Amino acid sequence: MSTPIKLGIASCIVAGVTAYMAYVGMATSWQYYLTVDECVAAAPSLVKQRVRVNGKVAIDSLDIAAGRHQATFRLRGTEEDLPVICAGSLPDNLAEDMEVVVEGHLDETGSLQGDKVMTRCASKYVNEPGIESGTFSASRDQASNKGRQR
Amino acid sequence: MRMLGQFCLLAAFVSIGYAAFATWFGARREFRTIRQTGLISAVVGMFALTIVMVVLAVALLSKDFSFHYVTQYTSQLLPWHYSLSALWVGQAGSLLLWAWMLGLLAMLFRFWPWKKPSSLRDPAFAILMAHCGFLAAIMVFAADPMEANIAPGEEGAGLNPLLQHPAMLIHPPIVFLGYAAWAVPCALVIAALASRRQTGDDASTRLGSQDLSSSQTPIDSSWVRMARPWALVAWTVLGGGILLGAYWSYEELGWGGYWAWDPVENGSLIPWLIGSALIHTLMTWQFRGALKKTCVALAIAALGMCNFATFLTRSGIFSSLHAFSQSPIGWLFLGLMLVLAVGGLVMIVRHRHRLRADNPLTSIWAREAFVVVSIVALLLLAAVTLTGTLYVALSEAIVGRRIMVGPAFYNYVLVPIGLVLLATVSAAPLLRWGAPPTARQKRALLVSAVMASVVAVLVLMTGVGHPLALAVAWLAAFAVATLAASLVVESRRIDADRPWRGLARALVVNRRLYAGFVIHLGFVCIAIGVTGSSLGSQRHELVMKQGEVVQWAGHSIRFQRLIERELPDKFVAEAELEISGDGERPVYLRPAQHLHRLQNQWTTEVAIRSTWLGDLYTILHNGEGQDAVRLTLVDNPMMRWMWLGGWMMVAGAAVRLMPSRRRAVQHVAIQQGQITAGRATKTNAAKTAATRIGDRDNAAA
Repeated sequence: MSTPIKLGIASCIVAGVTAYMAYVGMATSWQYYLTVDECVAAAPSLVKQRVRVNGKVAIDSLDIAAGRHQATFRLRGTEEDLPVICAGSLPDNLAEDMEVVVEGHLDETGSLQGDKVMTRCASKYVNEPGIESGTFSASRDQASNKGRQR
Repeated sequence: MRMLGQFCLLAAFVSIGYAAFATWFGARREFRTIRQTGLISAVVGMFALTIVMVVLAVALLSKDFSFHYVTQYTSQLLPWHYSLSALWVGQAGSLLLWAWMLGLLAMLFRFWPWKKPSSLRDPAFAILMAHCGFLAAIMVFAADPMEANIAPGEEGAGLNPLLQHPAMLIHPPIVFLGYAAWAVPCALVIAALASRRQTGDDASTRLGSQDLSSSQTPIDSSWVRMARPWALVAWTVLGGGILLGAYWSYEELGWGGYWAWDPVENGSLIPWLIGSALIHTLMTWQFRGALKKTCVALAIAALGMCNFATFLTRSGIFSSLHAFSQSPIGWLFLGLMLVLAVGGLVMIVRHRHRLRADNPLTSIWAREAFVVVSIVALLLLAAVTLTGTLYVALSEAIVGRRIMVGPAFYNYVLVPIGLVLLATVSAAPLLRWGAPPTARQKRALLVSAVMASVVAVLVLMTGVGHPLALAVAWLAAFAVATLAASLVVESRRIDADRPWRGLARALVVNRRLYAGFVIHLGFVCIAIGVTGSSLGSQRHELVMKQGEVVQWAGHSIRFQRLIERELPDKFVAEAELEISGDGERPVYLRPAQHLHRLQNQWTTEVAIRSTWLGDLYTILHNGEGQDAVRLTLVDNPMMRWMWLGGWMMVAGAAVRLMPSRRRAVQHVAIQQGQITAGRATKTNAAKTAATRIGDRDNAAA
């Protein structure tokens, strides 16, 4: 057997194993990537499916529990809103009217049970960097007020 | 000042555009005057572009809010160094920086005092200028950094607090420098393909010359010699930029750790992976005259993928944690990438006869065979990363729904590919070009394997039982052992009686070879860091009262006190933690929360204790009543090895890039025509300089 054929076989083995691992990885990690409107429209067919939804936190809807381990808010789309309950650690700059990405599952009531919420990172190439109003846990607000008083 | 900047931007666009045309046309038709006007125009264009940079920098530092760009990204309270960094925060500024860096590199390339002029230099320079002109055109027509602020005020929006980090000062410029440097190998290969010239005969050949226009004329291989250092510079700079970004992300809570497989991260990783493959194909072309078509394709693909990365960050069609605008200029970069892809494919097909290999692959145990396997692995990883990045768009086009894949998709693939790469890298020091290992090398490989097995058993005895961790430990130890064995063999060959002298001589004579192996060891260190932190990471959330002590992950952690400070632009709350271990002096960490006044935004500032065994990563969340705080502790094993690996790669590349007297000798040999790249290498050209380096590598091996 010539060297190029041997190398071809070796390369095919590497490629085959890689393709198989890619398939396994895809099968375990895929999720729908939706806007709020799309998610609300297709909600019945998406129950218990893993989804990643992109939208803005509606004004006057954000409620962060003490310790910042849970947040409830409405995710605003163009026409529809989606209720979200997020458990787990929350990003520092989570605030109302901010664009966020939420990953989780839709439950039977049409709420998104998020296990991961991410605010979009900072700003490069964004036309107007937003100045967000702060929404903090009670203790951080106290510290904030203390700082202001000084 | 703004008008001056606008005028200079326009002047730069016109001058650079003319420079691209005139140097190409002048070189192709041998019109010396036109070529020289092109060079002068290029210098004028670069001068104008530099003035634009200076104008914008001064405007940012002086907070001149008559500039729209300054209003968007600075504020009165922003420290001067972050004001300056705003130069590359926005779209227009980053394009300006990229164009300026590309122009500077083009100047360096064209006016570097080479020992002998090359006919490829002017056409390659013209291509670089064309790329620079493309960026200038975007600034003139779509993203003007000199745009006026319609209603100038006394205050700007300020820089996002998450970007106020020391890494912001250097990470983006380094990445853009890497993107700019990848243009040089691409320009050289296009110039070489456009040329009908063979190696080392300047007088009789010129671009487009009809007398040597046979499609069988081998390609001018001198481009490989010229491109190799540029490819290594680009690879090192981009790799350093990626690692710096990873470190920044690691320190900035909420960005998903040091790597999140985000499209923007993937966008810079893909050209780096392709560049890694390119560097190895360049070596194989130079030493064995093989893999020529692959080499050409990769040189063009590396630059194409840099443009693709820019498309990713500016098109707005991908799901990214990075917030980017849906700017139409992203499509221009995609267009440029497609032009490069189609043009490259056409060139390879058209010049396929000129790109035939000089030497066939003779043994699967030869070094070039291992290079082929590693290139396959690198390109597979690049393809998988590209597929994962494009999955949203592909799934929408094919099944009508946007579906994306998570980090698990990439991590699963990384395991087999990483192991293959580690295996090829580990064996490299004891392999030869063009032939299987000698009996002595085989013995050394066997001894290295035994030593690596001993290390793996020792690792197993420490309690590490994961098969992947053991495999990585074995391969890492094997890599160190083969390098040591290679040094021992070479030092004995040089001076058997005085091994230390032989060792020193071996390192001096084969400096570049061993510098390359240091880069390989850097990769091994990164593999150790990634494996350790991925498999062994653990976290613990807790509330601590002042004076309380907890024992966790081998550390004794005591919460000393809460410190609150008021700074001009922010309020700072820090938790002072005393960390101690068995018989160790205590160290103090201060994880903190910062409240940025202007943006009314909190940011978390983590504190890290780093040792060779792992990082203790501490996060302060908030206060819990009186004298208590909520903290998260994270244990990340082996993280320091990853950063060490990055530094080793940079150091190895720096040593490799240092000029060499031997290379000068070889260069003269090439220019004197002793070397004819092509199939006639069996005669006097069999001892060509290129092969001599390969022989020296073999001797060292």
